[in-house]
Amino acid sequence: MKTIKIALFAFMASTLLLTTSCKKDEPTPNTNGNGQVTVNLNHHWGMGTDPFSLNTTYIHPMNGDTMTFSTYKYYVSNFKLKKSDGTWWVHPESYFLVDLSNTSSSSLDLGAIPNGEYTELSYTLGVDSLKNVSGAQTGALSTANNMFWSWNSGYIMIKAEGISPQSSTGNFAFHLGGFSGVNSTVATKTVDFSSNPLTITKDKKSEIHFNVNTAMTWCTSGSCAGTSSVMMPGAIAHQMATDFHNGFVFDHIVE
Amino acid sequence: MKYIFLSILAVTIISCKKKNDDDLAFQLTYPSYFPTPVYEFENNELTKARFDLGKKLFFDKQLSSNGTISCNSCHAQGHAFADHNVSLSEGVNGVIGTRNSPSISNMIWSPSFMWDGGVNHIEVFSVAPITNPLEMNETMSNVISKLNNSSEYKNLFKIAYGIDNITDQAMLRALTIYMSMMVSCNSKYDKVRQGKVSFSSDEADGYELFKQKCASCHSEPLFTNYQFVNNGLDSIFTDLGRGEITFNANDNGKFKVPSLRNVELTYPYMHDGRFWSLNDVLDHYDHGIKSSSTLAPSLQNGIPLTVNEKTKLIAFLKTLTDYDLLGNSLFY
Repeated sequence: MKTIKIALFAFMASTLLLTTSCKKDEPTPNTNGNGQVTVNLNHHWGMGTDPFSLNTTYIHPMNGDTMTFSTYKYYVSNFKLKKSDGTWWVHPESYFLVDLSNTSSSSLDLGAIPNGEYTELSYTLGVDSLKNVSGAQTGALSTANNMFWSWNSGYIMIKAEGISPQSSTGNFAFHLGGFSGVNSTVATKTVDFSSNPLTITKDKKSEIHFNVNTAMTWCTSGSCAGTSSVMMPGAIAHQMATDFHNGFVFDHIVE
Repeated sequence: MKYIFLSILAVTIISCKKKNDDDLAFQLTYPSYFPTPVYEFENNELTKARFDLGKKLFFDKQLSSNGTISCNSCHAQGHAFADHNVSLSEGVNGVIGTRNSPSISNMIWSPSFMWDGGVNHIEVFSVAPITNPLEMNETMSNVISKLNNSSEYKNLFKIAYGIDNITDQAMLRALTIYMSMMVSCNSKYDKVRQGKVSFSSDEADGYELFKQKCASCHSEPLFTNYQFVNNGLDSIFTDLGRGEITFNANDNGKFKVPSLRNVELTYPYMHDGRFWSLNDVLDHYDHGIKSSSTLAPSLQNGIPLTVNEKTKLIAFLKTLTDYDLLGNSLFY
């Protein structure tokens, strides 16, 4: 009888332990609500403070080309924020098409983010490979945005078009894409701001600011006199996308 | 006997979701010796409403820039969903494309699309002909706005996909559903395989020859291994084929091995429609192979065939014609 009692106690104790440990595994209920975060992209031309906009004539600071843009569009995706406890908040269906013809598209709304202290931001420049091979998509990834190659499936990650007297045709068109292998035009980046963490509290609106130097796209490929058109994946697209990525730089957080 | 019994059993995809009576009678059916389709209908369950919508879109000339061409224009049921026996297809305003328009039956088993395999998913396949300037020459955004201007389409998309605003995703998925039902699996070859009928002696001899000489690329039961092969058409390539997609010189001059199902009807043959008869094709393999650095190793010496062997091979190839599909009232 005693043995049974001990066994019963042990069973109950273990059940209690199990219950407790199960509860611990559940996400902490968010009792304090959410804050709002937007990622603001400040486009500029060259290292100075020249704001970048379409239908404005610029001189390239390195190759001297005169360039006037009719289109500048690119994808940013997969935003994640790292909490100070090391866990990640993942923005669901996180795909943004930044289109310089539409100023509101430079402000990326990450929606409601649970309260807490955040130390790191992760994002992808371009569209991750999975979405390039998963069939028809919607929203920013709709084929109606003219950012999808029909003949060689995949997204155009960066599209820049316009006119330049240095180009032999007078026009330039750079459609930079490719999502696999050494010539991928997709890159995932992180920004560590653990020294000055972002604290999100209920109803607080925060902004994460990036400076985007669009002129960087041509810092290696050089003048439109040489290359004024890229329409397929490859080494040139990879180089130009990488240069663009290097011009996409975290600046500051406004809390 | 056991083999035959198993073959007769058809594989049917049945969803767990509750369906209405229409949909219950509307299922994808194929023989048990077919592999599992590549397309899994994930997020795009097969329903009658979606099929009917896809069918309307398939026949709708509004999908082209000037309202003159539909999908059906170049993929006709009477030709096993290939073009009407032309080498190269005509796009809007009479412009001529660069490659032969192939059959689009059994596409849900294909891991890639187009002669060069450039399209990686059946749902985005239709974007290529719709937007190609040499084909339907339209933009996806225009197509969507035309559809959204039609109260009839808005209603059909609402019923099929539960959406108020028509998206390209839903349009492409409806077309996918329609094409997914173009299953060719009731040819004489299939009926023989299922023990229902027998080959004639020429057909049976042709089948044996086929297995020895052709089946390494045109593998059963879909009669393609979906690989990209240079079959010796040219020494100098005017069309790089697979190489245009991979940018790898080792892929230049390679094209996807086409299925031979319904091959009797889908002449002219090859990616550019250069051969007008099966006899021409067999002559090519017998003595027409042109050498190049990417030529398939198995074709270095061609495929020697006697006149008698060609006759028997052709007799077998004609058993791949699927009259049930050609006459299936679902598609007209």
